[in-house]
Amino acid sequence: MRSPKGSRTSSHRSKRRLVVPAVAAIALIAVACTSSSDSGATASGSGSPGAPVTLTMWHGYGNVIDNQGQTNYEAKSLTELVKQYNAMNTGIQVKLDYIGSNDHAFDKLTVALNADEAPDITYQYGTSMAALATAPGVMDLTDDVQDPTFDWNDFSEGARQAATVDGHVYGIPALIDNLAIVYNKDLFQQAGIAAPTPDWTWDDFAAAAKALTDPSKKQFGWAYPIDGSEDTVWHYDAMLWEAGGDILNADNTQAAFNSDAGVEALTALQQMAVTDKSVYLDQQNTGQTDTLFNSGKIGMLVTGPWALSGYPDANYGVQIMPSFSGGSHATIAGPDMWVMFDNDGHGDAAWQFMQWFTAAEQVKEDAMTSGHLPIRNSVVTPSFLKEFDNKFPGEGLFAENLQNVTKARPVITSYDQISRIMGEAIVKVMLGQDDPKSALDDAANQVNQALGG
Amino acid sequence: MAAVAARPQRGAPGFARRALTSDHLVGWLFVLPAVFLVALFSIFPIIWGFVLSLQKASLISPDRPFVGFDNYSRIASDPFARQAAVNAVIYTCLFVPISIIIALFLAIALNQKIRLIRFYRLAVFIPVAVSTIATGVMFMWLFDVNFGLANWALGGVGLGPFGWFNSPSGAMPSLVIMTVWGWLGFDAIIYLAALQGVPHELVEAAAVDGASRWTIFRHVTLPLLGPATLLLVVWSTISAVQLFDEVFFVTKGGPLGHTSVPVFYIYKLAFTNQYGFGMAGYAAALAYVLFVVILILTLVQFWMGNRVVHYSS
Repeated sequence: MRSPKGSRTSSHRSKRRLVVPAVAAIALIAVACTSSSDSGATASGSGSPGAPVTLTMWHGYGNVIDNQGQTNYEAKSLTELVKQYNAMNTGIQVKLDYIGSNDHAFDKLTVALNADEAPDITYQYGTSMAALATAPGVMDLTDDVQDPTFDWNDFSEGARQAATVDGHVYGIPALIDNLAIVYNKDLFQQAGIAAPTPDWTWDDFAAAAKALTDPSKKQFGWAYPIDGSEDTVWHYDAMLWEAGGDILNADNTQAAFNSDAGVEALTALQQMAVTDKSVYLDQQNTGQTDTLFNSGKIGMLVTGPWALSGYPDANYGVQIMPSFSGGSHATIAGPDMWVMFDNDGHGDAAWQFMQWFTAAEQVKEDAMTSGHLPIRNSVVTPSFLKEFDNKFPGEGLFAENLQNVTKARPVITSYDQISRIMGEAIVKVMLGQDDPKSALDDAANQVNQALGG
Repeated sequence: MAAVAARPQRGAPGFARRALTSDHLVGWLFVLPAVFLVALFSIFPIIWGFVLSLQKASLISPDRPFVGFDNYSRIASDPFARQAAVNAVIYTCLFVPISIIIALFLAIALNQKIRLIRFYRLAVFIPVAVSTIATGVMFMWLFDVNFGLANWALGGVGLGPFGWFNSPSGAMPSLVIMTVWGWLGFDAIIYLAALQGVPHELVEAAAVDGASRWTIFRHVTLPLLGPATLLLVVWSTISAVQLFDEVFFVTKGGPLGHTSVPVFYIYKLAFTNQYGFGMAGYAAALAYVLFVVILILTLVQFWMGNRVVHYSS
């Protein structure tokens, strides 16, 4: 925009004095709008092996020191591992970026992709994988994970399934957890009932919930999220599998949850929520139940290892899921993924870092710092379990409970829609507005329509 | 100063030079950065949104085939869009009159010459300044079915327990109570300013003529509050139809869609896959329809307002 010197007559000078700042202001804005974007493009990876490659890594673990001044061990573990890697001077520097709750990681990535500013590595929920597979620039890791030094089969079956869309691997498991019973030992004692055992049935569970409920003390046997979100649904999924049912048929073309098993599972929920009124129904699902459990107002929760650190005041125990007669003690795992984008040819660097980051040694270190369950089976040795459970009481059972993860939710783009439809059916029944059979049949019709169109 | 510096120089010939050196050009240059930003952040998205509304698109995938006006034609047969529209009508019909009527009486109370009046005014306005999230957390506990203060207090006088946000029939009224509480201060301040603009001569003249306090209020004060009322009706209606934050955080559209409102449904369609994969184009179409509805509503309100409101301040 700048004109060559001396090409204009001097009579314009007084005006140009004004034009130049105005143009400069616009240019400045234009620069401000674009310059922050190319986080990874400071040095192009190809050609110059000496120049360091900077990778951006999105996560949702929060800050190392949280806003109440407490150390956040999940964030601390991640930060320390990345620092360790950067200090190795491999020519790759990883820059962590805390982008807020993982609940919105998919939304944020959507916006970033539209601005052409995708991170090199991002944490994402496993249930988003099918949608993520359609994103531009997403790295297909199918061949990479077959590298024998990576040992892909060391990850659990459920986690590998969740990372795979139509036979292609698009993510590396970042976190795996599962559901089990967490119960308040003191409340069980006060009610004079025996603690949950590994061979409990849902009838035992319901009876205990009833015995633990005392309206005069505002005390409940159990709590269930009824916001209709995936949190509502995955609790039910575990019960559905325990009863021997499935969400969809084998080739994901038809709903299967309205089977006898599905009805049996939902009837158990109906019995407790509507008839016994032994369940605290949590409509908002923003942490109330954890607060109530910690203050001794709820006898049992079905929750995961991440929640244990929130119960410093409760004398709690952990037990595996109940079964239905003739069924299993199956649980559900929520594997989350590291998804990578090949920006400016930095894909190889991202994969190189990820191999190190998810190697057994780092997985073990992360588990012992953050309390995360190890994502690699080879880490879970008897001596590790002992050490792990000592440091994080109750986590040992969750680690062993990974054996009860036998199924994964379907990895298809319409999964979130199926989840919403099932969530509505579950909420309807638990609020006493419909009976299990008709609610599930109605939901199955909607799901079949969604799968057909 | 800018204008002085840019004054055309004596004897500068020709139209081109006049245009280049005129005040207009300098003026435009000064506003150009702002115009550029408005264009970038408002006009461009408006156009892009319209293009999107003609596509079958997921925001995550670059594959966005054009489908003409299909997205617009499917709105009429979408039960969720209908549910959201019905909820918006119910919410608006409750929120707008309730908040404006309470605010009017509150403003009259705050217009008295009593001790600590500044404190009371501040107290009424504070909820407006409190973030939606904080308000949401507070009402979630206040309206908790089992542990909430509301059910405890109402139980004390033999009422309830109520289901509040948990109950399909109670969630919408609870949402109205929460948002009225949050917005009341704003409406009251507008009314308070308008009340203080009511000329004393008129009130005194009416009093001299023997009018009762009610007659003065009804025939002098209220008509003079007309412009403020029109502003509040238009403003409240637009914000009621665009309700989002409270629903997103507190009720999440539930239970069972009883508080699903248009903007929330549009958000779900565009940024989640809960209503199907590739619904962003449809969401854009709905957003355009919502825009037209708000435009028509506002024009109708101004048209009606101009027939009813006779005084301008």
